[in-house]
Amino acid sequence: MATIQTLHILNKSPEHPRAARCLEMVSEEDGLLLTGGGVLFLATGHLSGPGKVFALSPDIDARGLGDFKGSNAELVDFARMVKLSLEANRVISW
Amino acid sequence: MSTLIMIDQAPYGAWTGREALDMAFSLAAFDQPASLFFTGAGVNWLRQNQEAGGIGQKSVEKNLSAAPIFGIEAILADRAACETYGLDENSLIEGVTLVDADAALLNDYDHTAFAG
Amino acid sequence: MAETASETFTLVITGAPYSSQAPQTALGFAQAAVTAGHRIDRVFLYGDGVHLASALSAPPSDETNWSEEWSRFLSEHSVPGVACIASALRRGLVNETEQKRYELPAANLRTPFEIAGLGEWVEGRIKSTRTLYFHAGD
Repeated sequence: MATIQTLHILNKSPEHPRAARCLEMVSEEDGLLLTGGGVLFLATGHLSGPGKVFALSPDIDARGLGDFKGSNAELVDFARMVKLSLEANRVISW
Repeated sequence: MSTLIMIDQAPYGAWTGREALDMAFSLAAFDQPASLFFTGAGVNWLRQNQEAGGIGQKSVEKNLSAAPIFGIEAILADRAACETYGLDENSLIEGVTLVDADAALLNDYDHTAFAG
Repeated sequence: MAETASETFTLVITGAPYSSQAPQTALGFAQAAVTAGHRIDRVFLYGDGVHLASALSAPPSDETNWSEEWSRFLSEHSVPGVACIASALRRGLVNETEQKRYELPAANLRTPFEIAGLGEWVEGRIKSTRTLYFHAGD
C-alpha cells in the first residue's frame, strides 16, 4: 500500500464551509478520514475527488448510514484511525 | 518544523481567530517557525480601520501589524476570498501576501492547525 | 506493513462536551492509542474545550458524563490533562490558585486537570510523534 502523504480528518458535514475547503486540499497521495458529521458525505455521494476515503464506523452507525457502508469508503474503527494517523506522513484535523 | 495556523472564521463573532493568533504567537515565542493563513470569511481579520470598542472588544489590527516583529514568518491570505470580500491592497493591512489556496500551499508546512 | 513501535500523541480538544462530539471522538482515539501500546503525552484543552475540565457537570444519569470519563482515563493512564489558562479563565474554569488570585467565589476544575499556558501545546507539537485536534463539528 502506498504511503499516505497527508491524512485529512474531516468532521464537518457537507453543509459546513470548511468541508469544501478541506476537499479542495486533498490530493491523489492523501487520505481523507470522515468522522462525526463528515460521514454524511457518504449519503450525498459527492466524494469524487482524489485520495483514499475512510469513514469512522461508530459515527456511521450513529447516523443510521449502514446502507452506505462500503460505497466508496473504507470503514475503520478507532484502532485503525490510530494506525492511519501514524502511517501518514502528517495529519491535518479540519 | 514549520506550522501553518489557519483562520477561516470571521472576526468579532467568535474568539477562534484570536485563539489562533495566540497559537501562532506562542510558537514564535518558542522560536518555532509559524505562519498565518486567512481564508473564507477569515480574511476580514485583515481589513484596515477596525474599531471594535463599540462592541466591547479590542481590534486585532495592532497585533497583526506587529506579527513580524514577534517572529511570525508570514501573513498569508486566500486571493479568491479577498476578492469575495472586496479586499484589495487599499483595504488590506500591511504585510499580507496573497496566495492561492491549494494543496501545494500546505506542502510548505509540516504541521497545519486550526484553533477551533 | 510493519508494526509501528510505541509512539506518542498530544491530543488537543477545542470542542466542549454536549456542544460537540469532540470529547467523545478524542476519548475513543485516546483509548485505542493506549491499547495499541502508544503513549499520550498530554491532552490539551483549548477554546471551548476547557469545559471538559469542569467538576460541576451533572448530566442526566442515562447520558455519558464526559468530564468524568476523561478524568478517569487520565488518572488510570497517568496522562497529563491541561486546560489552557487564557481559555479557562475567560470561560470560568478555575482551580484554587486562580480562584485566590482573582478573588473568585469558587474553584471548579476537576481532578486531575491542571491549568497551564500554550507553552504546553508548543512542547507537545515539538515532542510528540503526532498532534491531533478534536474540534466541534458545526
